[in-house]
Amino acid sequence: MPPRSRPEAAVAFLEIEDLSIHFGGVRALDGVDLKVGEWEIVGLIGPNGAGKTTLFNCVTGFYRPDRGRVRYRGKDVTHMRPHRRAAMGFGRTFQQVGLVRSLTVMENLLVAQHARVRYTALEALVGVPGAFTEERELRRRAEGILDFLELSPVRDERIQGLPYGAQKLVELGAVLATEPDILLLDEPSSGMAPEEARTLGETLLRMRRELELTILMIEHHVPLVVGVCDHVFVLNFGRMLADGPPSEIQRHPEVIAAYLGEEAVDGPS
Amino acid sequence: MASRTDNKRTVAGEVTPGVTAGAGAHEDAKVFRPSPIGWAARASFLLVVFGGLLVLPLILPGYRTFQYSYALIFAIVGLSVNVLSGYAGQISLGHQAFVGVGAFVSGNLVSEQHLSFWLALPLAAVSGGVAAGLLGLVALRLRGLYLALVTLAYGAVATASIFEIKSLTRGGAGMPAPRPAGFTSDRAYTYLVLGVFALVLWVDWRLVRSKVGRALFALRENEQVAASFGIDVTLYKVLAFVLSGFFAGVAGSLFAHWRTTVVASDFDFILALTFVLMAVVGGLGSRAGVVIGSAFFALLPVLLGTVTVKPFGLLALWVTAFGAALLLITLRFYPGGVGQQIQPLVRWASGGRLGLNSRAPAESAGGGSGVS
Repeated sequence: MPPRSRPEAAVAFLEIEDLSIHFGGVRALDGVDLKVGEWEIVGLIGPNGAGKTTLFNCVTGFYRPDRGRVRYRGKDVTHMRPHRRAAMGFGRTFQQVGLVRSLTVMENLLVAQHARVRYTALEALVGVPGAFTEERELRRRAEGILDFLELSPVRDERIQGLPYGAQKLVELGAVLATEPDILLLDEPSSGMAPEEARTLGETLLRMRRELELTILMIEHHVPLVVGVCDHVFVLNFGRMLADGPPSEIQRHPEVIAAYLGEEAVDGPS
Repeated sequence: MASRTDNKRTVAGEVTPGVTAGAGAHEDAKVFRPSPIGWAARASFLLVVFGGLLVLPLILPGYRTFQYSYALIFAIVGLSVNVLSGYAGQISLGHQAFVGVGAFVSGNLVSEQHLSFWLALPLAAVSGGVAAGLLGLVALRLRGLYLALVTLAYGAVATASIFEIKSLTRGGAGMPAPRPAGFTSDRAYTYLVLGVFALVLWVDWRLVRSKVGRALFALRENEQVAASFGIDVTLYKVLAFVLSGFFAGVAGSLFAHWRTTVVASDFDFILALTFVLMAVVGGLGSRAGVVIGSAFFALLPVLLGTVTVKPFGLLALWVTAFGAALLLITLRFYPGGVGQQIQPLVRWASGGRLGLNSRAPAESAGGGSGVS
């Protein structure tokens, strides 16, 4: 198990420095710093509109920040295109389920392995024997993930026909299929019953333990955040309000104020 | 690619976690496998269908094989439109230009450069691919109605300019496009077209069953999700255009030598409209449906020509009216087109259950969603 406390010497796995972006007159992010160490599970919380998803979009490459840097394992990826970051090990889930809805669960796990496929597009179209062999391999790996998440019974169901909670789980499976090193989860427990959220927490801890994953997640469900996160960052009006271990953050007056909708003590000036 | 530690464990690798409570999950999920008799029934069905396609030119009278090969060429065009609109969700109202480019390149190479047909065919395919790829680069920035307008303009400009260059196309008189030795009769040429059609079917099948097709399905639905799965959306979108143009170029070459002359006036806007019509009525995303729809539209003038009483005269008018009516019926009642109707049969033939109420197979996922 990784240490629960946050050692100062922890090498930053993902490092966000002075990140700023604006849309029209709105400063969605303003000089945000954030660090995630390897093997950590880090929570990102904040009221609606605080800029959490915007931050994710900058980290995964869908938005280009006005200012600031995103470093991944010491490498500057600020201007790298999204699919290349995915190939580097960024796994990301979406608030609206990030799956191909018209395809089945199995097909989604196959699409998700795209960057891991070794045969070229031309080899695929010609139909070289190696491509057939590898397709079987992809299928086998997808089966493994389905087993891991206990999703095998819905293997051939279309996503659009599944209940929301199951879709979120399949989405997690699809992200695992990309073989990520770091997961960016956007509200993984949304739409889940408290009991399901508890199971999700166990799954996340198991994923770190067994798959050696680092996780950064946006989450509102307090028991889940307290249960799994080593460290929590609080975003408010595009600025980092506070960060610390979950137990401290829970008692943090400014955080409480922000969530109650009041002006923070020394909020954005 | 970038630095990744390759010694890390993966979910489905050697270290498949054994602690999961879902060990029995495999037994729960029954994967359907037909019985030996079931397999035999499916095999004989496929044998009848494909055997029938093969034997047909021998049975039909000569002038009918001429119509048969025309239907096959249309089917290739249909598959071309299907790659772009059905799989990748892009629209093209300028497809007649790609077919035309293929036709003129093939005719020119054989008649003017005295190249063999067997060399001209692949080169025509490549030029169709290049022509469509250029349009694809434009399409990267546009979608929906704007993309439709640009493809329409592209097609119109191509037919009105390139096809009128006398030195390339011999202008209005047309470019002769002789058939290759050994395939000059309509019956023999039909077999040539059948062979090429089989190749196109093969490539289309491999497309759908590989990362290429899956990437197109993903970007059709959600480009962000596709990118987060590591799919280069830009690359695959252009690839869809190139591949579609490639098929169209193949069809163009076959068409040129089928007709033995290429004339610019053959590739008008109505033709592009017919291409879209037949793919939609056939069922975007469904290979079998699109083939049937395309063949039907190819033979529609023949079918309607046999009707002796035609109010308002002109046959072309009737074909257009009939096509438009079919489109409306399809969009209103069967958005999945013919493909939606025959889907249980297709699923059964490819080793699944016949079950009329169960889920659709992946390949017909497009279900009319491609055109919007």
